Amino acid sequence: MARQEDIIVGKRLKNSYISTVVSITLVLYVLGLLGLIVLHAKMISDHIQENIGFSVILTDNARQADINLLQNSLDTKPAIKSTNFVSKDEAAEELIDELGEDFIEFLGYNPLFPSIDVRLRAGYTHPDTVAVFENQLMENRIVKEVYYQRSLVHLINENIKRIGAVLLLFSVLLTIIAFALINNTIRLSVFSKRFLIKSMQLVGATQSFIRKPFVIKGVIQGIIGAMIAIGLLIFTLYTAQKQIPELQAFQDINLLFMLFVIVVFLGIIISWISTFFAVRKYLKIKTDNLYFY
Amino acid sequence: MPLDTIIQLDKASIFQRDTLVLSDVTLEIDRGEFCYIIGKTGTGKSSLLKVLYADLPLVEGYAKVAGIELADIKPRMIPYLRRKIGIVFQDFQLLNDRSLRDNLLFVMKATGWRDKVAMEERMEDVLEKVGLRTKGFKMPHQLSGGEQQRVVIARALLNDPDIILADEPTGNLDPDTSEGIIELLFEISKTGRAVLMATHDYTLIQKYLARIFKCENGKVEDLNPEHRIQRQNQEA
Repeated sequence: MARQEDIIVGKRLKNSYISTVVSITLVLYVLGLLGLIVLHAKMISDHIQENIGFSVILTDNARQADINLLQNSLDTKPAIKSTNFVSKDEAAEELIDELGEDFIEFLGYNPLFPSIDVRLRAGYTHPDTVAVFENQLMENRIVKEVYYQRSLVHLINENIKRIGAVLLLFSVLLTIIAFALINNTIRLSVFSKRFLIKSMQLVGATQSFIRKPFVIKGVIQGIIGAMIAIGLLIFTLYTAQKQIPELQAFQDINLLFMLFVIVVFLGIIISWISTFFAVRKYLKIKTDNLYFY
Repeated sequence: MPLDTIIQLDKASIFQRDTLVLSDVTLEIDRGEFCYIIGKTGTGKSSLLKVLYADLPLVEGYAKVAGIELADIKPRMIPYLRRKIGIVFQDFQLLNDRSLRDNLLFVMKATGWRDKVAMEERMEDVLEKVGLRTKGFKMPHQLSGGEQQRVVIARALLNDPDIILADEPTGNLDPDTSEGIIELLFEISKTGRAVLMATHDYTLIQKYLARIFKCENGKVEDLNPEHRIQRQNQEA
């Protein structure tokens, strides 16, 4: 009979341990999910930004040596991802393909100009940066015009900025919520041991000696919770990529690994801080005051 | 303060929160002395003991326990004071999540014991003293009230304390078990430790004669100071 009772008590203790781990897991999973969304949003915004570019229209009589010099100087700039020279004839071929009729035969000459198509790196696509480029290029005597869609560049940048701000705000908010939820779970778990903590103090244990096993247990729960959360995140990512194969293009293993490290770090640090302060609270109060909680 | 005085209070005031419970408390207890604290419920017996083991602050007056002054005692010093005192509680205060041996091991580890063999020997020694040598594997809830109180006494003895403070240790026990506990505490006092025990059990007080402090009307009165003088004369 007594043995059966022990088993029941043991099960209850295990259940309370598991429920703490489950709470930590769920909160870290939601936090990790937001991290995945932020990562993908960043990669998608980089992809969109790096497709922003402009065409440097060259004068008709530009010499090939001058064109090469200009293209090489553009390629060395950190802001520029790639350049592509389109000769007068290539431009005409492209346009004939698009129009489906030979306009040169109709006009009697090729009215198009040679050009260099430039793609910018993400982070250098701000309209002001593009305008500076435009001014610098216009000083070159073989450049006739710099062509890009000003309103589109502006619109893309504005939207990315807005989405980034919303995601940042959401991340901060969710981190605070995560901290509060894990903190409450751990505080409840420590609260149930407040008399035990007091007994330990009454028999001469120092505060650090009492705190140590609680903190170690809290950190272990944080690590287990984080590991399970990472498992769930990997499963979610796998399922999402199966449903939307295009997402695979935006997968960066290094960034994912960093996200998982952050999830583990948050699991440890939040559990550690919460346990430390929850135990400290009961270490500081007098025995009689324990009954007021 | 004579050399063998282990507890000394001089014009001490005992407060429970903001309420003055006892005032102008002056008393001295010697090493090896057994003393009772008696008085009605709410007269300040437990509060006086709590001040002695620094669970309540000493607001006014002077107090010295086992060589440590209690006025303005730093929180980090309290564990070291408690290692010099063995405390026996009415409600046992055992760690209910572990066995008796683990209860004792916790205290030893917490108070700086490192040598495993010495720890085992000491544990066997104190469990033997309280007659529970074969029950170390049991959980506290698997023992009777008397047995749990014996474990608490064993725990109090672990660090060979100068003083045992017992707050109504027989309050939850039947008369026969209570007598066993008192006999055990008397034996402990004969080994040179001062025992200060709060109690309501007048039958036991009449049977086991000792010095008595009475808490009444906010004061502490030494009912038989001659007991101490006689004892001192015997020692001399």
